[in-house]
Amino acid sequence: MAKNIIRMEQIAKTYRIGKIQVKALRGVDMNISEGEFVSIMGPSGSGKSTLMNLIGCLDAPTSGRYYLEDIDVSQLNDNQLAAIRNSKVGFVFQTFNLLPRLSTFQNVELPTIYFLDKIKNKSKKIYEYIENVGLKGKEKNKPNELSGGERQRVAIARALINDPTIILADEPTGNLDSRTGEEIMAIFQQLNKEGKTIILVTHELDIAHHTERIIYLRDGLIIKEEKIDKPVNARETLAKMPKIEDRINSEA
Amino acid sequence: MGSFSENIKIAFQSLFLNKLRSVLTMLGIIIGVGAVVAVMSIGSGAQDSVIASIQGIGSNLIIVIPGSSQEDMGALNQFSTANKESLKLEDVEAIKKYSRHVNGVIPVILSAAPVTYLDKGINASVYASSEDAEKVYNFEIERGKFFSKSDVANSANVACIGPTVADKLFSDEDPLGKTMKVMGRNFKIIGTIKSKGTNMFGQDQDNAIAVPITTAMNKLYGQKYLSMIIADTETEKDIDIATEEMTRIIRKQHALKSGDKNDFSIQSQTEILDALSTVTNIFTITIGSIAAISLLVGGIGIMNIMLVSVTERTREIGIRKAIGAKNRDILIQFLTESVVLSLSGGIMGIIFAGIIALVLNKYSPITATISPFSILLAVSFSTFVGLFFGIYPAMRAARLNPIEALRFE
Repeated sequence: MAKNIIRMEQIAKTYRIGKIQVKALRGVDMNISEGEFVSIMGPSGSGKSTLMNLIGCLDAPTSGRYYLEDIDVSQLNDNQLAAIRNSKVGFVFQTFNLLPRLSTFQNVELPTIYFLDKIKNKSKKIYEYIENVGLKGKEKNKPNELSGGERQRVAIARALINDPTIILADEPTGNLDSRTGEEIMAIFQQLNKEGKTIILVTHELDIAHHTERIIYLRDGLIIKEEKIDKPVNARETLAKMPKIEDRINSEA
Repeated sequence: MGSFSENIKIAFQSLFLNKLRSVLTMLGIIIGVGAVVAVMSIGSGAQDSVIASIQGIGSNLIIVIPGSSQEDMGALNQFSTANKESLKLEDVEAIKKYSRHVNGVIPVILSAAPVTYLDKGINASVYASSEDAEKVYNFEIERGKFFSKSDVANSANVACIGPTVADKLFSDEDPLGKTMKVMGRNFKIIGTIKSKGTNMFGQDQDNAIAVPITTAMNKLYGQKYLSMIIADTETEKDIDIATEEMTRIIRKQHALKSGDKNDFSIQSQTEILDALSTVTNIFTITIGSIAAISLLVGGIGIMNIMLVSVTERTREIGIRKAIGAKNRDILIQFLTESVVLSLSGGIMGIIFAGIIALVLNKYSPITATISPFSILLAVSFSTFVGLFFGIYPAMRAARLNPIEALRFE
């Protein structure tokens, strides 16, 4: 049995908006073990985003315990959380969130400038990671010179550069067409195969079916967990899909 | 944590992205620092040349000019309405005779007159004095000799000439022994004076000739009064007592009763230097305050633009925080940016002042020297302005909540 990388015990989060208290999470227990590929699903207002923010150490819970690699991160302050995010969490966002003024290389490099330990052969490693997500030759391009799919690949390379414990992807295919989305899912599946722990937040069921386990969230509570015995293989799906060029040609 | 050079790079990148905005923001600092440095350079340049020109005359000097003293500036006030004819050659004789603390004393008539040789002519300053002027006034003779006591006694038509006069009238010829005309009268050249350079007003001190006082009084101007009396003392300590002594002697000479005001003013070299530096200090302080206000306004401009920049880049801040930037990293990033902005303005201001100084030195009589001190002051001031006005925007950036910042559109 692989060890639990994420252990949440009775996590609750209450927001105060003016005089109203909003209970976004009301006691979530959740375990994710090393090397797992899990998706978290739920309609808007289910507490999905709040849970993601907590998993990603962007926020601290109101109550409950959250252990990330046996570190109790629920008790840490802002700066300690920043250090955890930097070394243990790799974020991939729906809107990519690249810095528009920086090149592919610089965007991938960004987490390393806040990294405490010196990375050996940093440039070489950055080039390698860019190549791994299929962007060789686009190191100098700015985000606006890249397609949506390419931007998300940059974001994935950036998420990986500090060798994080978990990859946290928030609707990573939400802004992409289905083929490009499938390509991104293929990258995630490949990374998972290589041993990365990936947590995917989505509201699309067919995307969630690419993962091994789906956690359903509603009104701040986990209502159901589902094991996917045979996840959708993105590579195979891709092979069946028409190529972009074909589509463009048929349109023309 | 982002490295220092990384921060500098980020700062320059974001400033270059908004070139016009950055330059406009810097303008306040450029003008402020430029003004400070330029004024300081003019101030210190003027002070240097005043000191040089006054000390060039000699040291431990006491200067008597006609007319009652009007406040501190009496000696310098050319518009004094008082009697201009109060100083006589006899006063000098009396001082020579009765004073114990005065080392040397000379009568001086200063004027300008046309000086010609053959077909060439020039308007030169004419220093008329006694043989002691060589020592008291620091006339250094290059070749030949200074006029002697008997020249003065006999109102001899002899003169020593400065380098500019020698150059203009004689060019390659040897002036020694030649006869030139001063106000139409023949003067034999017996010596050449070493160069003294220009004084604070840009006057060429070398465009001068020295003649015996008696000759000037009797043959050139037909006047009985002096422009000034200059005395010196052996040591600095004697200046005060010698000043008192001279005052007493001249008052007695002028038959002033007790209670009568002096019809002359007497000041030591140090007092004149002090008075002059008071003037330049007031000048410096005035322009300095204007510059300070400019820096303040410039600083507010920086703060304003940094606040705009923080808002514009809220999302960037969110991203940076999400991937692990600590509050301090963001703080340093934005603080670096405001300091770089302000410091660049400061450096441009120094360059701006440098250009002003160059132009002044080339095209005006003012000498401007940019001292390392003023550069250091400008650099530290603009750094301070950047820090002071940048800290609030930077703190705002650092305190942003990453979740909200990421959601910012």
